[in-house]
Amino acid sequence: MKKTRLPLSAYSLIFFCFFATVKGQVKPVDPGQTIHHKTPKVFVLKGATIIPEPGKVIESGEIVIRDGLIESIGKSAKIPGDAFEVNLSGKTIYSGFIESYLERSDKKPPVTGRRSQQNQDEKTTTTATSHWNPKVKPDFSVLEQYDFPEKEGKTLRSLGFTSAHLVPGSGIFRGQSALIHLGNWSPGSVIKEAGPVQAIGFEYGTWSDPTYPNSLLGAVALTRQTFYDAKWYKEAWETYGRFPETNDQPEEDRGLAALSTHLENKGAILFMTDEELGSLRAGKIGKEFDLNVWLKGNGYEYRRLNDIKALDSFVILPINFPKAPDVSTWETALQITSEELRHWDMAPDNANKLAKAKIPFVLTTSELEDKKTFRNNLLKMIKRGFSKDEALASVTTTPAKRLGLSEVLGTLKKGKIANLVVTDGDYFDKKSRVESVWIEGIKYPVITEPKADARGTWTMQWRYDGEVRIDSLKITGERTKPQGKLAGHKMTIPLKSVTLSSNNMFNFAIQGDTLGMDGIIQFSGSIKEDYAEGQGRTPTGGTLSWFARRAAPYEKEKEEKTETQEKTSKLVVRYPEGAFGFEKMPSQPELILVKNATIWTMGPQGVMENSDLLIKDGKIWKVGKNLSISPKAKNSVIIDAQGKHVTPGIIDCHSHTAGFSINEGAQSVTAEVRIQDVINSDDINVYRQLAGGLTTANVLHGSANPIGGQNAVIKLRWGSAPDQLLFKGAPQGIKFALGENVKRERSWGRYPETRMGVEQVIRDAFTAAAEYKTKQASRGGGKGGKLIPVRRDLELDALVEILNGKRLVHSHSYRQDEILMLARVSQDFNFRIGTFQHVLEGYKVAEAIAEVGAGASTFSDWWAYKYEVIDAIPYNGPLMEKVGVVVSYNSDSSELARRLNTEAAKAAKYGPMSKEDAFRFVTINPAIQLGIDNRVGSLETGKDGDFVIWNGDPMSMYTACEQTWIDGKKYFDLTRDREMRAKRKEERNALIQKVLSSGENKMEKGSNKGRRMRRPGEAESYSCVEGELK
Amino acid sequence: MRRTITTLLLAVITVSIASDQVPAPPQTHPILLMNATIHPVSADEIQRGAILFEKGIITAIGRRVTNLPDNTETIDLLGKHVYPGMIAAASVIGLTEIGAVAVTRDFSERGEVNPNVRAEVAYHPDSEIIPVTRSNGVLLAHSCPTGGLISGTSAVMMLDGWTWETSTLKAPAGLHINWPNMGAVRSRYSRITEEEAVKRREKALKKLDVVFEEARRYFVAKEAADKSGKIKLNTDLRWEAMLPVLRGEVPVFMHASEVRQIESAVEWANRQNVKMVIVGGYDAWRVADLLKKYEIPVIYETVNSLPRRRWEDFDTPFTGPAKLHEAGVQYCISMGTGGASNHRNTPYEASKAASYGLPKNEALKSVTLYAAEILGIADKVGSLEKGKDATLMITDGDPLEITTQVEQVYIQGKKIDMSDRHKVLYDKYKEKYRQLGKIK
Repeated sequence: MKKTRLPLSAYSLIFFCFFATVKGQVKPVDPGQTIHHKTPKVFVLKGATIIPEPGKVIESGEIVIRDGLIESIGKSAKIPGDAFEVNLSGKTIYSGFIESYLERSDKKPPVTGRRSQQNQDEKTTTTATSHWNPKVKPDFSVLEQYDFPEKEGKTLRSLGFTSAHLVPGSGIFRGQSALIHLGNWSPGSVIKEAGPVQAIGFEYGTWSDPTYPNSLLGAVALTRQTFYDAKWYKEAWETYGRFPETNDQPEEDRGLAALSTHLENKGAILFMTDEELGSLRAGKIGKEFDLNVWLKGNGYEYRRLNDIKALDSFVILPINFPKAPDVSTWETALQITSEELRHWDMAPDNANKLAKAKIPFVLTTSELEDKKTFRNNLLKMIKRGFSKDEALASVTTTPAKRLGLSEVLGTLKKGKIANLVVTDGDYFDKKSRVESVWIEGIKYPVITEPKADARGTWTMQWRYDGEVRIDSLKITGERTKPQGKLAGHKMTIPLKSVTLSSNNMFNFAIQGDTLGMDGIIQFSGSIKEDYAEGQGRTPTGGTLSWFARRAAPYEKEKEEKTETQEKTSKLVVRYPEGAFGFEKMPSQPELILVKNATIWTMGPQGVMENSDLLIKDGKIWKVGKNLSISPKAKNSVIIDAQGKHVTPGIIDCHSHTAGFSINEGAQSVTAEVRIQDVINSDDINVYRQLAGGLTTANVLHGSANPIGGQNAVIKLRWGSAPDQLLFKGAPQGIKFALGENVKRERSWGRYPETRMGVEQVIRDAFTAAAEYKTKQASRGGGKGGKLIPVRRDLELDALVEILNGKRLVHSHSYRQDEILMLARVSQDFNFRIGTFQHVLEGYKVAEAIAEVGAGASTFSDWWAYKYEVIDAIPYNGPLMEKVGVVVSYNSDSSELARRLNTEAAKAAKYGPMSKEDAFRFVTINPAIQLGIDNRVGSLETGKDGDFVIWNGDPMSMYTACEQTWIDGKKYFDLTRDREMRAKRKEERNALIQKVLSSGENKMEKGSNKGRRMRRPGEAESYSCVEGELK
Repeated sequence: MRRTITTLLLAVITVSIASDQVPAPPQTHPILLMNATIHPVSADEIQRGAILFEKGIITAIGRRVTNLPDNTETIDLLGKHVYPGMIAAASVIGLTEIGAVAVTRDFSERGEVNPNVRAEVAYHPDSEIIPVTRSNGVLLAHSCPTGGLISGTSAVMMLDGWTWETSTLKAPAGLHINWPNMGAVRSRYSRITEEEAVKRREKALKKLDVVFEEARRYFVAKEAADKSGKIKLNTDLRWEAMLPVLRGEVPVFMHASEVRQIESAVEWANRQNVKMVIVGGYDAWRVADLLKKYEIPVIYETVNSLPRRRWEDFDTPFTGPAKLHEAGVQYCISMGTGGASNHRNTPYEASKAASYGLPKNEALKSVTLYAAEILGIADKVGSLEKGKDATLMITDGDPLEITTQVEQVYIQGKKIDMSDRHKVLYDKYKEKYRQLGKIK
């Protein structure tokens, strides 16, 4: 065994520490303050049932422990003469449990309200070579601020945990983990200083926080940039090392250095997640950088099991089941979503579902408000069918393997560290108790109760003032909190202040009146097995003496409480979870024929009466009259649409639906952030908008900064995972913003605060991008060359894409001056503006918009909500259109997006223009603006099978949408919706009844404390119109 | 003298005069609208009917109106429709101009208890929002204070006039109270715990009871003082303003949406023995029986909104009015007090409800007659009936359809300037493109 320290070399470090501390071969560095302690540490644990690892049992075996290690184990282990015998017959011994995630954080509780947190959670000990962003600290070791509260250790030990994976808990790149024993803290408690993971959490400030990032968008972007930087950092230094003459020395960065080393060693990256889509987000980053991804789980994994399985990641799973929702009255029950009710029912099955799907995981106590509930929850899972072996493995062998501890922990085996759990029965039996744990061969008692048990029926003889009495003493209650009564001839006296102390001393008192003694009679003494004796005092101070023999042992009164039945939830997971999700995703018939409808093709065929639409394999085959398909054709659907109208799916060119995060506002230019990283596919508004005929949406970054983030064009494929919503092949875009929202004063003083400054910020950004582009071209590939490669900058990459015509600009704008300004800037830098968004004064400079070939995506008639829209008019769209601009009407609102068909009617009203022309504003025109008109926007041969069936003229206020199809799949159907409603009603009733009868509800009544109100990011609508929505 | 003018009213839309809108003078001579489809709302429609009004009041309506007074101006409206003017049943019209500009907001006074502030005195007759709203046929607005717990008294305003005095149709219309939230509002931005929400609620409810008790003490003393000259009473503006409510002359407009708010507001109103109208009423249909039993009307805001609970039917806000109608609860539809600029779209709130189950004729009533009834102005407006105000509109079709054009409106017989800021700007910039040769 090497005795020299090999930094970051995992196994040698383990053995080094382990021998150094446990065997005591190396003299402690600490000189100490007392004489040497040399008590032998040799034990033999005898007579217990030993579970050396899941699935194996040694009945009545022995374990010999020497100096913290297991010297031998088995049925007839050789017992050395110096071993101290510990009789554990009737007990069960397991390998000590390993807590896979124990967070250490210097975080202060968040300030409530909207005030800035001002990074109060950041460590202040940054150095000159720390990463520029205080949330990026891969160089931080969790042990740097380690301070282990004994109370927490005690709680974990009482559950059977003997060692833990300590993970830093604040920042984005949080730092390196460590492995420790859970005994009393000493330097020897560290098993491994450099734990297996670098931890990442997408942590961000509040809206008013000046430190980047202040959104999930920014947190993801910073994470990606940092991985690119770490890679580059290594190359840069290598190149510099080889060619110091031709290069400037790169900046030193401790964070990047630590991260690049970790990545080089194929170290794991542990991502924090708080819901299942967060797991997918982490997985996506993992894929991009080929990372060894571990997931800190969240309890919602069962909702996207297959997608999570596909990530091939290891999960550290909390079992923090939700408390019963408050359904104490029918009114409060209304406030509870179906999703919450269903999660309450299904959450305890999560781990088992992961197990069945063969997703590797371990269990952790983390996220539990009260860690003590860990075992109850585990037992609940087992009642629901989770196997005991699986449960045991998830806290012993699996964590040992994953955390690199298999050689020393995880099973009971000769040579391993003597970390054990001693119980008085099967750990997974509710009645059993953890009596003690052993850590490094030292016993840590869990239950400290007197050896004696006072309970039972005793015959007591006592004498005082010459009298002798024989009475019966009946002691009941808890072992540590006994109570009882004295019973004699025709009388019973309750005992007062009964105590049994840990040294087996037993005291009680009685009221003496019945016995003819005015006052209290005191008894005290001790118990040894079935015999007790002692002295006392009468009310007058006279001496009494007593002794007693146990006549009958204590018998527990029958427990009335019948346990609630715990069964696997019968609910079928929906996509997405909650009301109106699909149990089975819509299928794509091979052929779809919609017959006898009024078809608004929005293409050269115009509006066709009494016509048919034929879809094949999700694409439009033909629009015409008297189309038919063979009645024999399998997998086909024929819809009689007599009296109905059929239109292309509606397209919303400005949406914030389905975004977990919309604005990264801490910087004026955030071209690196991407909406595609934060898609909330479960946003119920997706479904609601399908019910209004919407099929495609341009999900934009908000308007917090002149150059905002990258957009995501999505199709409303309700039920799909986030990435499946993305409109594949749609040109990339980016949000810009001008005017009031961006120049508004920030408390921390962000530039710009005028429209003058806005122009300069944009010019400056493009100037930087152009220089970056030149530099990239001049350095070529970089790797292996003489020059340090150009650092990849995600922000500048996006801007270069704009300059290269690969990314469309969608610019929030209102006033004519700023519209014209951006038009001129675009000409100067030669880039393409896809659309001016809102563009409410577009009618004043329509010729300039037309000149630069930009589209105008506007509101039909909103005005007067802020000063810069004082001149907004409902004639804006039609007038721009007349001057030659491609115009669309957008929603910028999850609500308005449900009725863009009648928004188009406003173009017909104010134009005035024909209804057909007006309808272009929400179909083919936005498709042109987004560069997807070859795929959607009209019903023409070869285009996507995205269409809507209306029960009347789509421009009439009295019309409702009946069916919405995307890619030839039916995502909304009014009839099916009615069925879902009926099912939901029935299901809610059943679940509410279940909550009420579970008995869990009572304690929760009137309290919401600690209950998760809902999943993060649920059902909020954003709008640029209302400003930046604080 | 009789004149017959066949006006092509459509021209008004596109060739309006680019100037400030001038309030109209009082009706100078009788006007007969004939050959139009008349929609009295209170009765069946009259095909090719006629309506006569004089000095601002409807004097005759029917298939044929005979015995025309001298000097009647006769307007032939063949193919056109006549409807009563629509009503914005709860709004902040006139009380604000630009929502985001604080100095233009006059609907929310500082403090929790402001029964004495009066909406009508802050109504700005030159607000650009007024002509924009009325040119789509919304001719009356219930302008409401919205702040604090007790916001003040509201007024029904006619959307034309030189001053707030000449614009006022009814003041006070009622006292506005915001019923407190009964539990924590579940939203991303709300960080209030349930405990804190309950604490706030209890505080607000207590305050409300204290205010009403004090007002009643004042009321008792006032009555006594009125009877006896010996009793002296110091005037308290707050309680003075509440006398019409305590006397039952005007209702409390109780802003409440969630079911627990509505239930407890009903209990409160019964206990306090005041007339009450629920404003908001998102969950009103869930307690329709209760509202019907106590004859509590609902101003339902807003049909075009998102369901408030994730699990609810996508059309929950659309179907609220139909459910109230079916249950026999008195109701009307409004766009609400959230902003002033969009009330021209009031009719489309009603037709949205109609597309999800409300009968069409009910939809029309919900923004005309029903609103008038709930606001206590049905003796003057809300329908076309003899004796009522000639506050009406001429359209080329169903005003609840967006594509319909409102061609001319009258308020108390005054012919209203149909121009507005939007048309003025439209004309101005059309001229720009004419000069550039981009359009003709």
